[in-house]
Amino acid sequence: MPARVLGTFGDPGGAARAILALREAGCGEVRAAMPAPFPEVVAALGKERSHLGAITWTGALAGLACGIALPVTASLAWPLFVGGKPIVAIPAFVVVFFELTVLIGSLTNLAGSLALGWSRGGLAPLPGGREFHGDRIGVFAFTDDPARAEEVLRAGGAEEVQRV
Amino acid sequence: MSTTSTSAAFAQLQDAVAAVPRRLGRGYWVLVGLAASLLLWGAWCYSIIVRNGLGVTRLNRPVMWGNLITDFVFWVGIAHSGTLISAVLFLFRARFRTAVYRVAEMMTVFGVMTAGLFPVFHLGRPWFAYWLFPYPNQRHLWPNFRSPLAWDVFAVSTYFIVSTVFLFVGIGPDAAALRDVATGWRRRAYGLLSLGWHGTDAQWRHYTRAYLFFAAFATPLVVSVHSVVSWDFAVSLTPGWHSTLFPPYFVAGAILSGVAMVITILIPLRKVLRLTDIITPHHLDMLARLVLFVSLIVTYSYSVEIGLSLRSPPSDPERSTLLYRATGAYAPLFWLMVTCNCVGPMLLAVRKVRTSIPALLAICLAVNVGMWLERFNIVVTSLSHDRLPFSWRLYFPGWIEWGMTFGSFGWFFFWFLMSLKLLPVVSIAEMKEDLAHARHVGAGEAAHAG
Repeated sequence: MPARVLGTFGDPGGAARAILALREAGCGEVRAAMPAPFPEVVAALGKERSHLGAITWTGALAGLACGIALPVTASLAWPLFVGGKPIVAIPAFVVVFFELTVLIGSLTNLAGSLALGWSRGGLAPLPGGREFHGDRIGVFAFTDDPARAEEVLRAGGAEEVQRV
Repeated sequence: MSTTSTSAAFAQLQDAVAAVPRRLGRGYWVLVGLAASLLLWGAWCYSIIVRNGLGVTRLNRPVMWGNLITDFVFWVGIAHSGTLISAVLFLFRARFRTAVYRVAEMMTVFGVMTAGLFPVFHLGRPWFAYWLFPYPNQRHLWPNFRSPLAWDVFAVSTYFIVSTVFLFVGIGPDAAALRDVATGWRRRAYGLLSLGWHGTDAQWRHYTRAYLFFAAFATPLVVSVHSVVSWDFAVSLTPGWHSTLFPPYFVAGAILSGVAMVITILIPLRKVLRLTDIITPHHLDMLARLVLFVSLIVTYSYSVEIGLSLRSPPSDPERSTLLYRATGAYAPLFWLMVTCNCVGPMLLAVRKVRTSIPALLAICLAVNVGMWLERFNIVVTSLSHDRLPFSWRLYFPGWIEWGMTFGSFGWFFFWFLMSLKLLPVVSIAEMKEDLAHARHVGAGEAAHAG
C-alpha cells in the first residue's frame, strides 16, 4: 500500500506549483482538498473533466420524453375539444415539455453530482482526518517514495508536511 | 502573493459569515415578531375566506381577480431576482454577483413559496388544490393542458423546486466550512446541509460542472416562468391583456422588482450584520445600474403599449382601456406607477444619486411599490373596464384582501429572517475563489509595475 503524504498550503498558487512538481517527480497519485474550486489547483491536477454532463443530458432528454408523453397521452385519454383547439395541441403543450425537461434534468443533475461526489470514497474522511474548508489547501501524495514527496512538497513552499 | 495574507483573508471572511447568527440581537426578534404578527393576521383573514367563501372579499363581476392575483404576480416577480443574479450573471461571469447572490437566492425561494400560495387562496375550494396536479385517478380525468392555469402549475412548481435545489447545492460547501466552527444544533444542521462535503478535487470537479448545468437550466427557466404568468393574461381577449408584448414586459418587470427588493434588503442587512466589507458600495452600485437598465426596458414596454393603443381607432377597446387607465378612477395609481418605475430609476443615471445609499434605498422602495401597482393596474383596470360597458365596475380591495397582502409580507419576511439564523448569507467558497483571484491579479499587476 502506498504511503500518504500531506502538504498544507496557504495559497492556491503555491499548491498548484507543488502539485505540478509532484507529478513531474513521478510521486504517484496526487489529490487535493480545498475550500474553493481554485482553477489553478484543479488544472495542475490534470484530471479528466467530470462525466456529469452525460448524466444530466440523459435526464433532460428523459424529462422531455415525459413532458411530451404526459399531456399527449392525458389529452388522448380524455379527448375533449376546448376552445376549438386540436386534442393534441402542440404549441400549448410546449410549456409542459420545457418545464419537465428542466425539472427532470435538474434533479438528475443533482442526483448525478451527489452520486459522483460520494463515489470512490468521497464520503470517507480525508486521510489523517483533517478538513480543508477554512483557510488552507491540502495536497496529498499517494506514493511509494514518501521521502521524495516530502522533499518536493517542502521545496514547493508547504507550510507543513506530514505522513498521514 | 503573500501566503499568510491570502489565508488570513479567507479566515476573516469565514469568521464574518459565521458570526452572522450571533449578531442578530433584540431588534432581530422584534422584526421576527412583527413578521409573525402580520403572518397571523393574514392567516386569520384567509380563515374567513375558507369559512365563508370568496364572497367575503370585494371581488365581484366583472372584476373576479383582484389583490390576490396581484400579490401572486408580484411575488413571482420578486422571486426572479435570485435566479437572475445567481444563474444569469454566473453565465456572464459577472464577478460582482458573488457577494450578493445568496441573499437573492434565499429571496427567490421564499418569494416563490409566497407566490404559490395565492392561486390556492383564490380557489373556491382550496382543499381540492391537488386537482391542479396531473395524477391518475378513478375517473381518468386530467387537467386541461391547453389552459395557461395548468401551465402555471408546472412553471411555478418547477421554478420552486429548481430554485430550492440551486440554493441548497450552493450552500453545501459553505455548510461544511461553517460546520467546522459551529457547535450544538447548528453543527448538526450544517452537517446535514453539507451532504458529506469534504472539498476534495474530485468533488469540486463534479460540483462546478453541476453548478454550470443548474445555471444553464435556470436561465431559460427564469424567462419561462414569468412568460407563463403573463400568458395567464395575454391569451385571454380582455383589452389591456391581449398583447404579444406581455412576456418580455413581464420578465423585465419581474427583474426590476426583484433586483429592487434585493437592494432594499441588502442595504440594512449589510449594516446590521456588519458585512459592509464584503457587500461593498461597489456591489450596490452594480445592482443600481441593473435597476436602471431594466427600468429602461420597462419604460420602453410602457411606451410601446401606450403607442400601440393610441394608434388604434377610437372605437377599439384597447385604446379605451388605456385612456381609462390614464384618466379614469384608477389614474392616480397609474401615474404613481409610472413615476415609481420609470422616473425614479432614471435618477440612478446620476452617479451621485446611485452612490448615495439613502437615495438608492428610497428609489428601490418606490420601485417595490410601483411594481405592485403595475400588477394591480394590469389585473384590475382591464377587468373593471372590459368589452361590455354595462358591466363596468370599480374594485377596491377590502380589509380581508389587504390583510392577506400584508400577511404575505409577514410570511416572506418571517422565513427570510429565520433563515438568517442558519443559512450563510454570503457564498464563502465563491468569495474565497474571488479573493484568491483578486490577490493573484493584484500580485501580477504589482510585479508588472515593478
